[in-house]
Amino acid sequence: MKIIIDNIECEAQKDETLLQIARRNDIHIPTLCHNDALPGLGSCRLCVVEIVDKGRRSVVASCIYPVRNEIEVYTCSDKIKNIRRNLLMLLRGRVPNDETIKKLCKEYLVPDRIKFSGDKDEHCILCGLCVKACQELGASAISTVNRGITKKVTTPYDEPSAQCIGCGSCAYVCPTDAIKIEEKDGIRNIWNKEFQLLRCTRCGKPFATKEQLEYNREKLGEAHVKLLCESCKKAIIAEKLKDIYEKV
Amino acid sequence: MMSRTVYVCCGTGCLANNSMDVYKQLKKLAQKYEADVEVKTIVKATGCNGLCEKGPLVKIQPDNICYSKVKPDDAEEIVKRTLMNGEIIDRLLIYDTALKRRVISHKDTDFYKCQMKIALRNIGEIDPANIDEYMERGGYKALRKALFQMTPQDVISEIERSGLRGRGGGGFPTGVKWRQCSKFQNFPKYVICNGDEGDPGAFMDRSIMEGDPNTVIEGMTICAYSINSNRGFIYIRDEYSLALNNMNNALNQARERGLLGKNILNSGFDFDIEIVRGGGAFVCGESTALMQSIEGNVGEPRAKYIRSVEKGLWGQPTVLNNVETWANIPEIIMKGSDWFCSIGTENSKGTKVFSLVGKVKNTGLVEIPMGTTLRELVYKIGGGIIGDKKFKAVQTGGPSGGCIAEDLLDLPVDFDSLKEAGSMMGSGGIIVMDERTCMIDVARYYLSFLSEESCGKCVACREGIKRMLEILTDICDGKGIEEDLELLESLCHTVEEASLCGLGKTAPNPVLTTLKHFRNEYYAHIIEKRCPAGVCPELTAYEIDKKLCKSCGLCAKNCPASAILGKRGEAYSINTQLCIKCGNCIDSCRFNAVKVKKEVGK
Repeated sequence: MKIIIDNIECEAQKDETLLQIARRNDIHIPTLCHNDALPGLGSCRLCVVEIVDKGRRSVVASCIYPVRNEIEVYTCSDKIKNIRRNLLMLLRGRVPNDETIKKLCKEYLVPDRIKFSGDKDEHCILCGLCVKACQELGASAISTVNRGITKKVTTPYDEPSAQCIGCGSCAYVCPTDAIKIEEKDGIRNIWNKEFQLLRCTRCGKPFATKEQLEYNREKLGEAHVKLLCESCKKAIIAEKLKDIYEKV
Repeated sequence: MMSRTVYVCCGTGCLANNSMDVYKQLKKLAQKYEADVEVKTIVKATGCNGLCEKGPLVKIQPDNICYSKVKPDDAEEIVKRTLMNGEIIDRLLIYDTALKRRVISHKDTDFYKCQMKIALRNIGEIDPANIDEYMERGGYKALRKALFQMTPQDVISEIERSGLRGRGGGGFPTGVKWRQCSKFQNFPKYVICNGDEGDPGAFMDRSIMEGDPNTVIEGMTICAYSINSNRGFIYIRDEYSLALNNMNNALNQARERGLLGKNILNSGFDFDIEIVRGGGAFVCGESTALMQSIEGNVGEPRAKYIRSVEKGLWGQPTVLNNVETWANIPEIIMKGSDWFCSIGTENSKGTKVFSLVGKVKNTGLVEIPMGTTLRELVYKIGGGIIGDKKFKAVQTGGPSGGCIAEDLLDLPVDFDSLKEAGSMMGSGGIIVMDERTCMIDVARYYLSFLSEESCGKCVACREGIKRMLEILTDICDGKGIEEDLELLESLCHTVEEASLCGLGKTAPNPVLTTLKHFRNEYYAHIIEKRCPAGVCPELTAYEIDKKLCKSCGLCAKNCPASAILGKRGEAYSINTQLCIKCGNCIDSCRFNAVKVKKEVGK
């Protein structure tokens, strides 16, 4: 079917999300909580757009809105810009010193001085991507706890988690770099838990935790898990390819 | 031999006032004296009668006598005089404030006269622990009719034609929901009863589950038959221990009678229901969060772009209705959609149960036909404002509802009219407010409730409510500026539009409706720096009108800060230095001599 986004006709499949379709057609919609590998959160609300479906206008979150009818979409109407400005103002109130949010605030003309203040060291916008990443990877070591204004992301009872394998996926997907990983002398500290880092057998750089390797072995089998860091893995593959092509 | 039946109300309100002791005492004494007289007495504990204000209530049939505020010590007199000799004990009769006299039967009071009971038809009339009593009053006949005389399509059409709309607040047509769900050929399907009533001051669903659990079971089974589902869940909040107990008991009895389980009444149809206890989060009353909670996840809502009738519990087609909706189903099947359609307004059929609370004389549980005006509800059924103070507003629809001002008192109550007025039906909480209520304080109260009860998943709701609450708190503390109102309104619209679920989308209602109907009060707080209702401590000062003061000293007696001084024979006065602005003096003065000062002097 065809839908119209900002007066551009776009091809769409049933149940594709609006965001997918827009991105395929180079139409920019800002997001914070969206990650192509971990879709479906819909918590940051920044991706809201206006749709007209059979004459009815409504505001929807494009990252989770499944297309089922031939609708018209407006991604940056005045109303939408206003909503995004207010949402970003609210986010800046929560994380006043976060660069990602500051940049977006500039883009959406949030005034420099706002009424709301927050913890100057806070960077978490509670989007939930980290929790989802941890869940999907199977460790489920962190979760949101409490609700409403007291909600936060943490390990059970704020104590070092037995489940955490120190893989750092949570920090990797975080849109505001709110999760801190400290590495010093071959020790990684994340979520108040210390992990011994293993060294890459090729370059000798500490790169992954013992728990992470064990977890991968269990999941993928011994043969698929080698003690190699990302860049060495790439280098080895590149060498192999080089060999193949030279022989050809 | 003559027989009398005594019905002791054992709903939550009456239980709190020791009705269980009254019940036990009556039962004991009735047995003790039974041998002496020719009167057979049956004593029953029933569900809530509605007039909680006057509880514990004791009804005696066939004499049609209703006693109010009965104490265990009254039992002996009731047994000896009324049960044995048919005498009426005048001092225990209900005093009707409108008629200004005591009435024998509760049905003679305005509180009951204006009501029409469909969902509450059995409550107060039967012992909820005994399925036979439900069946004696026609219970499970509707299920038999549906199973043996109607096809699933007939059942759905009947409910569709009745025009029944969801009583949980949304007002979605029930029949349409069932029809949509029946079309998906994706099994298993589920039927859910939402008994997670969380609105402050609301107890409609609780009373139904406590007082007539079988009607919910029957309604759900009829639906299950019509959409071809074999498994149902009743989600009850854990605080409702009596409801949990009575519902569990009813489920067991229904299974014993073959009304639930495999091959119901030999029809070949299987259906069973489990109880799920809620953990006490308000947001779990939202249908999708409730389903998450049943699945064992954190109770966070999901976007409803794909409806639950298609993908609900565990991703399967699901019909979820509220307790009161289920309670209406058996009656509609038995009496027909034409009968149901004859009650109510054009687009809102039937009746609605409300819990009427706040500053009215008769608080309690009421069921009225749709289209009854707010004025009737407040002044006839509610008996008017306590202390005959001035009416200010009614708040409908729970925390996400809105406040309606005096000029809309003649509004007929139905789904659409309330929505038009900026409020909503909600699950049916009605809170009446008098002139001593500060509307900004009210909006602040609801937002502080919601700020804690929002699931916190989406930015709009979590951060938006928090900041709106900050602005309102500033206004109440006298730190508000005019620009705040503009920001407040702008935030309201963002939260309304951008929130993920119904909780967030309706959360700004208390602010928007007070801004609409009571804007002057906001200005008074912001510009004149005074709270006209005399509630916000920073913006309030009281004074005693010397001409009206009768020097009775009641205000001084009730002042917890000893801030009121005076001598007999002279007018009293308030020491503003000591005054903590609690308002006890205003509320206790019988001569309206204590006033909220026009100038606070700041």
